[in-house]
Amino acid sequence: MRITLSMRERKNPYIPIEAEKIVPSILMKGTDVTVYEGNKARRLADLFEVVVEGEAASADEVEVVLRGDTSRVKRVGEYMDGGRITVEGDIGMHCGNFMSAGTIEVRGNAAGWCARELHGGTVICRGNTGHYCAAGYRGEKKGMAGGTVEVFGDAGDFAAEHLSGGEVVIHGNCGDMPGAEMRGGTLTIGGDCSRPCGNMKAGTCTVLGTVRDLIPTFERTGETAGPDGRTLTAFVGDIANRGKGRLFIRSFQYLE
Amino acid sequence: MSELLVKNAYVIDPINHIDGEVMDIAVRDGRIVEDVGPKATVIDARGCLTLPGGVDSHTHVCGTKVNFGRYMSPEDMRAGREARRGVKHATSGYSVPTTYANSYRYAVMGYTTLLEGAMAPLEARHTHEEFSATPLQDMMANTLFDGNWGVMNAIRDGDQDRVAEIVGWTLSAVKGFGIKLTNPGGTEAWGFGKNLTCINDEVPNFGVTPIEIIQAMIRACETLRLPHSVHLHCNNLGNPGNYACTLGTFNQIPDLNEKRQTLYATHVQFHSYGGSDWKTFCSKAEPVAYTVNNLPQIVIDMGQVMFGKTTTMTADGPMEFNLYRLHHDKWSNHDVELETGSGIIPVFYRRKNLVNSIMWAIGLELALLVKNPWQCMLTTDNPNGAPFVKYPEIIALLMSKKYRDAEFATVHPDTGSRVVLPALDRELDWNEIAVMTRAGQAKALGITGIGKGHLGLGAEADIAVYPIRVGEVDPAQEYRKVIDAFSRTKYTIKRGRPVTRDGEILVHGENTTIWVDPKMGPGHDISQDTEFVKMFDRYYSVRMSNYPVQDEYLKRSLRMETEAVF
Repeated sequence: MRITLSMRERKNPYIPIEAEKIVPSILMKGTDVTVYEGNKARRLADLFEVVVEGEAASADEVEVVLRGDTSRVKRVGEYMDGGRITVEGDIGMHCGNFMSAGTIEVRGNAAGWCARELHGGTVICRGNTGHYCAAGYRGEKKGMAGGTVEVFGDAGDFAAEHLSGGEVVIHGNCGDMPGAEMRGGTLTIGGDCSRPCGNMKAGTCTVLGTVRDLIPTFERTGETAGPDGRTLTAFVGDIANRGKGRLFIRSFQYLE
Repeated sequence: MSELLVKNAYVIDPINHIDGEVMDIAVRDGRIVEDVGPKATVIDARGCLTLPGGVDSHTHVCGTKVNFGRYMSPEDMRAGREARRGVKHATSGYSVPTTYANSYRYAVMGYTTLLEGAMAPLEARHTHEEFSATPLQDMMANTLFDGNWGVMNAIRDGDQDRVAEIVGWTLSAVKGFGIKLTNPGGTEAWGFGKNLTCINDEVPNFGVTPIEIIQAMIRACETLRLPHSVHLHCNNLGNPGNYACTLGTFNQIPDLNEKRQTLYATHVQFHSYGGSDWKTFCSKAEPVAYTVNNLPQIVIDMGQVMFGKTTTMTADGPMEFNLYRLHHDKWSNHDVELETGSGIIPVFYRRKNLVNSIMWAIGLELALLVKNPWQCMLTTDNPNGAPFVKYPEIIALLMSKKYRDAEFATVHPDTGSRVVLPALDRELDWNEIAVMTRAGQAKALGITGIGKGHLGLGAEADIAVYPIRVGEVDPAQEYRKVIDAFSRTKYTIKRGRPVTRDGEILVHGENTTIWVDPKMGPGHDISQDTEFVKMFDRYYSVRMSNYPVQDEYLKRSLRMETEAVF
């Protein structure tokens, strides 16, 4: 089953749309669902041109395709538990919140909080993501607990904050404080970042680029070979938080 | 003129010695009267347990500390979300919910009067602002004096009159209700990185000891003729072996007032710990309860701990720092210049944790071992021991040995050797519960005279109608029914107006703030005292003229005037 949602022309394209109903397991039962445009309740068909092809017995056989300017559509794939969502352009905030199974592929950029508190499944972003990619929410102690997030572009600040399980791979650069408060899982950053893994307790973080302002509360333990065979410097920390996380860095400069 | 008639109610009203009489309650203009005319609104309470509105004499629902708990725990706001409906505001939060959520949940449980346990005088405005957003309960605020520089200087100088003058002036300036001492002297010491272990340690820079502060404040309280006694959170909270300190404090409390207690000791559960460290930690509820039984001048509240998530918040800054070192979670400490401080830590009390299991048992032991229910109040020190929504469960635990045993089977297996709870067979009856949740609390607060906590003629018509048939339900066996009934009233009536019906909020009310204004007579006005003014100008970051809370902060105000006798 393939459900194609093409965004219609909107009078004011800046008003955000809250669309937590765009999830395969809900749309397979029918596409007559309510979403919110600003504070106004709308039917899905008012905002999108909906085309449904084929049939599905379970959510896993459903593919939802979003077309057009979807950069302000929020909460797509929230609590998703199977199937596939493909976003051909950009996507708004909170894409893939609490997802437990299935796949979301964003061909453009994703806004903030992408894959927040992921439990399982896969989120792939071909472009850049905003802040708090694969993070926990405000105040929460455990963030992403399982699943895979792969970002081919850059990520903003606080990527993988509170990471406690699963795998996060960011091929580009990260902003400030990736992996802050990490307590499990693995984080791999292909490019540069600054101040990674503050207050880390457990887990593994690898930075294949340069780290600016490395926090001094990481204990240097030696060297190891990276995935490409080149040397990485190994650290343990954050000892300020009695942490035993592991941090591998290609090159770094300390916080002054 | 509004009239209301609650018909066929099964009434328990301990203050008026009514214990299970089926009667009608007539209300005119918010007061209970002899009878009303035929046009009165009628509420049929047939077969329903009908009690005076609940009074909580120690809770933390408003003020800067509570609000900071909200800042610190945004994740708490994920729970308890309810959309706006009718007169009801949207709510969210569980352990530190929004003011409206606090008010609605209390109202649904039949509570109509609340005492905010600790208000820093300098931050009183914020507390009163939140009071005005607590629509369905009458509010009071105990005012913190534990580290007040003026008070401590006066005690060191041996000037007892001056202590009373400062307390009296401050209470009427900040529209406070009574005196609260939290770890007296200890929080001030904490400002200098120290703490006091018990009542005979000296407060650094002031040369006074906690017991001197406690006794001077008790005497000041009686000098000012305050309706409520000193409200004391003892030193050394939460540490193994602290029961000795608690007993030491209790045994030095004089009996100065015939009408009420001289000391209200709060959350005594946190102060009844034996052992010398966390490995030998055990319950010492027995000696504490025994002491209370022999000292009619003392009233305690349980400070019951219930399992689950909550947020601890207290003016006891050093204690919260110790808790932080235990949990290694987020924490906050705050200093209120010249007056007090506070700390906040989210905690999770676990059944599988031995210390938490013992804490849970101690609160229940205290309530069961204190013979006179008028001397033991049912509280959780909301939200320190648990959020107040757990009260119905606590009531059921106290009424049912069967329920206690069932719960006891689920706690840490080593608890049995550290507590006496399994050996206690006492099951409280309806009357005792009514005392511990309303009549006793109102009496301890000294507000029965203004019509709180009872249903006598002329009393404020705060009535809670619970959907439970007392004669037909055996609380010892059918404890689930007790929990359900106390969780949701059929009607909660505030000032003669039904405010909730079957859990539904009916009106957007307006509360009354009850405060005390001691009249001290000429020659005792501390705001004219040059030395006091000099201290104020030198150390406070506000001017004395800006310090008092303006009347506009109180929507409805009930001033209790007292005549100080020096």
